[in-house]
Amino acid sequence: MATNTVPDIDSLLVPTHDEFARQRAVAAIHTHAMLRLRFDCRTAYERNVKPAFEREHGRAPETGAEIAEAIKGDPFYQFYSSIRYNAQEMGPLARQPAVERALPAMIEIAKSAAQSNAAGGSLRLDPDLVVPDYMTEYDVHLAAGSYHSEFVDDDVAQGVLLGRGLSPIAGKGRITKNRNFAGVGQSIAHWLKAKYPAFAPRRMLDMATQSGANLTAYPKAFPGLEAHGIDVAAPGLRYGHAKAEFEDVAIHFSQQDAAHTDFPDGHFDLVVSSFFLHEVPVPVTHQILKEAYRLLAPGGLLVFMELPPHKACDAFMNFAYDWDTEHNNEPFYRDYRSQDPTELVVAAGFPRDSALELTIPDITSFDMDRYPAFLKGEIEAPPHGRGGWFIFGARKPG
Amino acid sequence: MTEANGAAGAPLAGGRVLPRVIKGKRSQFFDDPTMDQMMTFFMELMTEVMVLRDRQDTLERMLEEKGGISRAELRDLIPPPEVEAERAADRAAFVERVLRLHEPVGEPAPRHDA
Repeated sequence: MATNTVPDIDSLLVPTHDEFARQRAVAAIHTHAMLRLRFDCRTAYERNVKPAFEREHGRAPETGAEIAEAIKGDPFYQFYSSIRYNAQEMGPLARQPAVERALPAMIEIAKSAAQSNAAGGSLRLDPDLVVPDYMTEYDVHLAAGSYHSEFVDDDVAQGVLLGRGLSPIAGKGRITKNRNFAGVGQSIAHWLKAKYPAFAPRRMLDMATQSGANLTAYPKAFPGLEAHGIDVAAPGLRYGHAKAEFEDVAIHFSQQDAAHTDFPDGHFDLVVSSFFLHEVPVPVTHQILKEAYRLLAPGGLLVFMELPPHKACDAFMNFAYDWDTEHNNEPFYRDYRSQDPTELVVAAGFPRDSALELTIPDITSFDMDRYPAFLKGEIEAPPHGRGGWFIFGARKPG
Repeated sequence: MTEANGAAGAPLAGGRVLPRVIKGKRSQFFDDPTMDQMMTFFMELMTEVMVLRDRQDTLERMLEEKGGISRAELRDLIPPPEVEAERAADRAAFVERVLRLHEPVGEPAPRHDA
């Protein structure tokens, strides 16, 4: 760290007293909707909606989609949905002013980091890359501007706005969010080392890396690992590169579409992603997994953190998850979840007997004294999104 | 930068540069869309009440400690973690009180924290 000359880009984000209070207030409402109302909704469903459906159809709803249709007129569902939708929308709105104030100075830091590459990483942007229609037609997650939009030259704003929220609450309390979405990389890296002690990847790729929040954990866990991250959105790559250089972690960021990259065949021993495939149309999911297969060296591992599929949840949980399809600007969410992860990797060329699907503990919140028991199969990981992460993957023969 | 990436290509003048309106069809949850609009007003107002609560708490703490305070100091003050932890608990209780929904009846389920 001693030789590092890249300043801390995050240190420029300084909300006022009231901006900080507003961010925390919105987070409190959103947390209440996600951790209380979303589950109370099951009670409302069991007591009111399900009996009415049974009277009409002579059976209980069998799919999430049936529940979604049946519950539409229920007042509790309507208030829960409205509260959650508004809180989701208000999150970025509460964070924007601080980002706008810091933007000119943040851009300067990102530009200088891209020139110095003090930590040994790199940033390769492709100004001619066409961002796919499915990203530009609506703002995913109800965040105005989404990930890819640029409003000024060398823009980092959307990367900061949507990436800084991934950092755990720590330090000076800047832009914060309650759940630790950035624990995924650490959790997978830890699980890989425990599960495959002989696995020593030389080069890895994180697809749809945004600002690399879940990528930096891997070179830290596997010393000497050459880490690459790609995304179609430039603001997050610029921001992530500046952060990685400040943290003295060498990461190679490049602006590429995961469905067709410019890396040679067999270039990587490990290909990962998180929170990715449910945001793309199912045909693109197939292209991405085929590309991952092409990019893996013999013996290489694919590990994607994703939403649990329909087959792993009951009808109510499928309804609860798939809410985002219509109401969080994630139109492929339900179609993605209707796929079987094992069938997806088999279709991409991986051997069926190498396919894996499981939920692993989030190591930033799990009692690690119990990890050996988890590895032995004596205890299960906490549910996905509440202390655990669902992952699937496969191994290329070699 | 190109049109393809949505770049404005303009120099940064500072101030407001980011959009406040989201692209895509807005969800309607109630039969009457004015109800959806009223919920947005209500949620914004609820948030601002929480901001005022924090500001009042900050004022009380500063007055207790110093007896005299400056507005600039108040504007820039980010609470230390122990104060923020107290406020987080206060906010959670506030949200629970204000969002007192009529259904489902009976005791609410325990919060599903990890």
